[in-house]
Amino acid sequence: MTTFYRLLGFLRPYKRGLIASWALASLAMVMTVLIPLLMGHAVETINNGASRHAASAARAHDRHTLALLAGALVVATLLRWALTYARRMIAGRVSLGLEYDLRHLLYGHLQRLEMGFFDHQQTGQLMSRATVDLAAVRFFLGYGLVFIMQSALTIVLAGVAMLAINPRLGLISLAPVPFVVVIAERYGKRARPAIQEVQQRIAELTADVEENISGVRVVKAFAREPRQLQRFRDSVGRVFEQSMVATRLEATFNPIIGFLPQLGLAAVLLIGGNDVVNAHLTLGQFTSFYFYLNMLIAPMRALGVMLGLAQRATASGARIFQLLDRAPRLSEPPNAPALPEGNGHVQLRGVTLRYEGSPEFGSPDLALSPNGSGPRARAVLRDIDLDVPAGRTIALVGATGSGKTSLVSLIPRLYDPSAGQVLLDGADVRGLSVSSLRSAIAVVSDDPFLFSATVAENIAYARPDAPLAEIEAAARAAQAYEFVERLPQGFQTRVGERGQTLSGGQRQRLAIARALLANPRVLILDDATSSVDSSTERSIKLALAEAMRGRTTLVIAHRLSTIALADEIVVLDRGEIVAQGDHRELLQASELYREIVEKGLPEHVFMTRETREREVSGI
Amino acid sequence: MSPVVARGGPGGGPLGRGTQWDGERASRGTRGRNLRGLIALLRPYRARVGVTFAALLLGTAASLAPPLLARAAIDTGIKKHDTTALTLIVVAFMLSALLVWSMTYAQTYLVGWVGQRALADLRIRIFTHLQALPVGFYESRPAGVLISRMTNDVEALDSLVTDSVVTLFQSGLTLLGAIVILLVLDPKLALLTFAIFPLLAAGSLWFRLASAGAFRRTRETIGAITAYLQETLSGIRVVRSFAQEPQHEARFALYNEDNREANMVTVKLNALYFPAVEMLSGLAMAAIVLYGGFQAIEGHITVGTIVAFVALLAYMFDPIQQLSQLYTTYQSGMAALEKIYQLLDVQPDIVDRPDALALGRLRGEVQFENVSFAYRRRGSEEEQVLALDHVDLRVAPGQTVALVGATGAGKSTMAKLVARFYDPTAGRVLVDGHDLREVASASLRSQMGIVPQEAFLFSGSIAENIAFGRPGASAEEIRQAAGAVGAEQFIAELPKGYDTEVGERGSQLSAGQRQLIAFARALIADPRILILDEATSNVDLHTEGRIEEGLRRLLANRTAIVIAHRLSTIRQSGHIVVLEHGRIVEQGTHEELIEAGGRYAQLYEDWAEQAA
Repeated sequence: MTTFYRLLGFLRPYKRGLIASWALASLAMVMTVLIPLLMGHAVETINNGASRHAASAARAHDRHTLALLAGALVVATLLRWALTYARRMIAGRVSLGLEYDLRHLLYGHLQRLEMGFFDHQQTGQLMSRATVDLAAVRFFLGYGLVFIMQSALTIVLAGVAMLAINPRLGLISLAPVPFVVVIAERYGKRARPAIQEVQQRIAELTADVEENISGVRVVKAFAREPRQLQRFRDSVGRVFEQSMVATRLEATFNPIIGFLPQLGLAAVLLIGGNDVVNAHLTLGQFTSFYFYLNMLIAPMRALGVMLGLAQRATASGARIFQLLDRAPRLSEPPNAPALPEGNGHVQLRGVTLRYEGSPEFGSPDLALSPNGSGPRARAVLRDIDLDVPAGRTIALVGATGSGKTSLVSLIPRLYDPSAGQVLLDGADVRGLSVSSLRSAIAVVSDDPFLFSATVAENIAYARPDAPLAEIEAAARAAQAYEFVERLPQGFQTRVGERGQTLSGGQRQRLAIARALLANPRVLILDDATSSVDSSTERSIKLALAEAMRGRTTLVIAHRLSTIALADEIVVLDRGEIVAQGDHRELLQASELYREIVEKGLPEHVFMTRETREREVSGI
Repeated sequence: MSPVVARGGPGGGPLGRGTQWDGERASRGTRGRNLRGLIALLRPYRARVGVTFAALLLGTAASLAPPLLARAAIDTGIKKHDTTALTLIVVAFMLSALLVWSMTYAQTYLVGWVGQRALADLRIRIFTHLQALPVGFYESRPAGVLISRMTNDVEALDSLVTDSVVTLFQSGLTLLGAIVILLVLDPKLALLTFAIFPLLAAGSLWFRLASAGAFRRTRETIGAITAYLQETLSGIRVVRSFAQEPQHEARFALYNEDNREANMVTVKLNALYFPAVEMLSGLAMAAIVLYGGFQAIEGHITVGTIVAFVALLAYMFDPIQQLSQLYTTYQSGMAALEKIYQLLDVQPDIVDRPDALALGRLRGEVQFENVSFAYRRRGSEEEQVLALDHVDLRVAPGQTVALVGATGAGKSTMAKLVARFYDPTAGRVLVDGHDLREVASASLRSQMGIVPQEAFLFSGSIAENIAFGRPGASAEEIRQAAGAVGAEQFIAELPKGYDTEVGERGSQLSAGQRQLIAFARALIADPRILILDEATSNVDLHTEGRIEEGLRRLLANRTAIVIAHRLSTIRQSGHIVVLEHGRIVEQGTHEELIEAGGRYAQLYEDWAEQAA
């Protein structure tokens, strides 16, 4: 229930719009409830008029009354139109404003959470909170509440009118109302998971199809078409079965929900009809009853459906709050000073780093499941002391999981060490303004991420206002200019997930240009592991040499050619520095280094093609 | 979940460019055929379809009864003080309600059953058809387009079959019934009431068309938001590293605003339409009361008729609104049908001959006889790219041949021709002296193993993936295969061992581990001919050694054609074939080729220089 009240809190900025739309809805409902009353009077008048003498003055009077009633019907109808139109516009604006706010809040919050948070969350889980849950909440707060109010008000006002006309008949004919509401609500509660399961199974079927299309060569190569067809048949069968579960629910509930109000109508016809015969009720009142019940059928059903939505919105709200309540753990002190002047002197003093391996959120259904597992809070770096004087290049070497990436992530403060200190130009990075620290450091990763934007925008990522000349200069220095010029729209070509496909080598050179334009004091490079052809290799080497000039550089090296660029090599093993020195020294001193050089590093890839991005994998 | 992702803006994504495949070109000529196809899908269930329509007809007729019975209750029961008649009328009323109940049940159930069955049949038919198409077909089409035939398009058909057809009959019959009843009750009053319909119908149609565009726009904008969010989350490391959070928040706010504006258009359209319909129905009511009332006062019609008229208004307003919705559903359904039939019309161009030879156990000799091959560019039939140019090669049984060459030299093409994924444009490819075009594909492929560059695994357990190579392999055989390629150890370390789920495309395993499983899968098939595309990406230190060992076991005792990237593999194979621009420029052993000082020797020098 607290979640529910907190959700209502989002409505606070829209108090006026909300009150206005509720007031308009109420007035509109009054008009709606007036109509059957007017109809009843009209029928009464007609009935009286028909029973009088043809030329009597009373009949003329009846005609006049009837004209007035028809006029009143027109007025009520027009008023309701205007009120409903205004209500829809205002409520729509409130709902959309609310959606905008919620989404903005959520996105801003995600931008403030520290890097460590994302390591343990599946993107899909976060996405579903920001889309599915958000949609449920905004639909309920925006439309659902007004709907519930409107339906409830219609039932109450019509009920009051009916009870006022004839309490006994009113009670009898209203008897089915609670049943319809409850059954409609129960139907909603049972149908929704059933339909979601259908969607889930269709998603599985889609994955099945996807797999068969992407893996078509493997299927054909092993001549396993029959097996795949059988599996696909099973998937299709599962979709069918679940669709029938949903269909059966619909077939069971829907007709009942339609039938129950008919009982009320039958009661009105039978009991009300007898009352009219016995003169306990006028024909007009009888007619009003008949139309009231007809009018109530839709709100009864809607109320049930909306009550179900309220529960769903509350559950979704709980999930959203869980995310919003997760405070950012890596924050800067108030009025944090900017990074002091310097040339990029990096120091790590007694640094130990443990990742929190535990899932963030407790209960299983709400848990954002952890990404990867492993012993809880294992130290990935232990007692690291490293001093990189300004302008020097250090190569980090070690097996997968030895802590190379973790070590370099500490410098731009993507993580905070569990113990020890990280200093840049003499200042502890935890005391600095994060943006001034990070703008002094640039990272080129092994699998560079490009945004779905133009090449120029991607290069100018760190400085969106950089002039084109500078962007081109950076591209030249990174050996990217030539291939960019050959792209369909040159620097204005869209790249990234939804743009032109680039090879790994091309993306890496763009990432280097991006880093160069940021003009950082410290450059962090993660050497690509996948191989590129020899001419690309050469250009990357040139680009790297250019990028490193005059900056402190830490490079995670996978090939000898990159190691050759370093002044000093640091060998890491299971989170500890086990050796340090130049290539010759290490070959002598460190057995691990020797092994790595012999087995792990040499370019056993002799001649290759550039890895092409392909839809269909395989030969 | 399949997130709706808007196609890229300017420039478009790789899927954004309209292929002839994605065009919504339901030409008039094919429309009739498509509809016939749809009906053909329902033919196996015609008995149930018949019952469904009977239920629809009966249910609709029964649902029209209440207003008439109310009229009778007033005119013959109440006004004539005939309580027996009144009771009988109420009994009839209850009977009609019960009839509606049972018929709605039957119709809902049957429509669901028949519709879902027919769609399941269609899905299987598309799948079977896709399986029959050659690999070349897949290479020229983005996977996303093919997948959407089976998902989006089938679902569009779903709403056409289950919703639209029912709506068409139910609403159409209701409307027709109501019109007939009104005309019979009082033609003049009926015509007065009908005066409002052209306005309602035109307005409804306008609304459906306008809101179809508006809804598309809201879907696009929400798709853009989802895509942007997804991208930010994928690239969160870059965002953090460059401290560009404010830039992203500002961009996100723009997308958010776009979405709000798009939604506001639908809010406006809804606010214009729905209250206006309500108003029209109120005005119609007032007209009936006024004109009908005067008529009733004069005794030309009964009071009950007026009540019935007002009650029947809803029976006309609702169907007209629903029928107007049909147009858009019908259009998208037909477009989907067109696209599905376009796919089903593609004839596989590599099929076994009727007299195809079933191969016995192969010795494993592979021969290229003057083979040329040109890929057909998509879109233009004439423009062809020559990938192989008069290639002659003989691979002796049991020999390992390494194909070496730059990107586009023709290595993969040669491998594809051996597997008969394509037929050569000229020349012949022979296995044990048989032209591949004359043999039964299944008998060839069951003796052939393929290890692709990126080891493709299917979701399922490790054991299932290995057994993919040989149906019905025992647990022991699976273990042996894994052991032979050196995969046993890492599998044993996994929490569930051989029953570990590999995840979608093997995502739970490392690249090296996937590679080893692909080796085991090929090994268990015990192929006579093995085609291997070596992985180019480095794997971690420990797996690396095992892969070399696994490879050695895999290549032993069979003919192997390896698209080689690693020097160790190249040296290991007895015979090296160097390809350039679709021609074989050199062949021999490593030593011979170095000695010769040709293209291979030059490549080797380049490599040595890099490594230094």
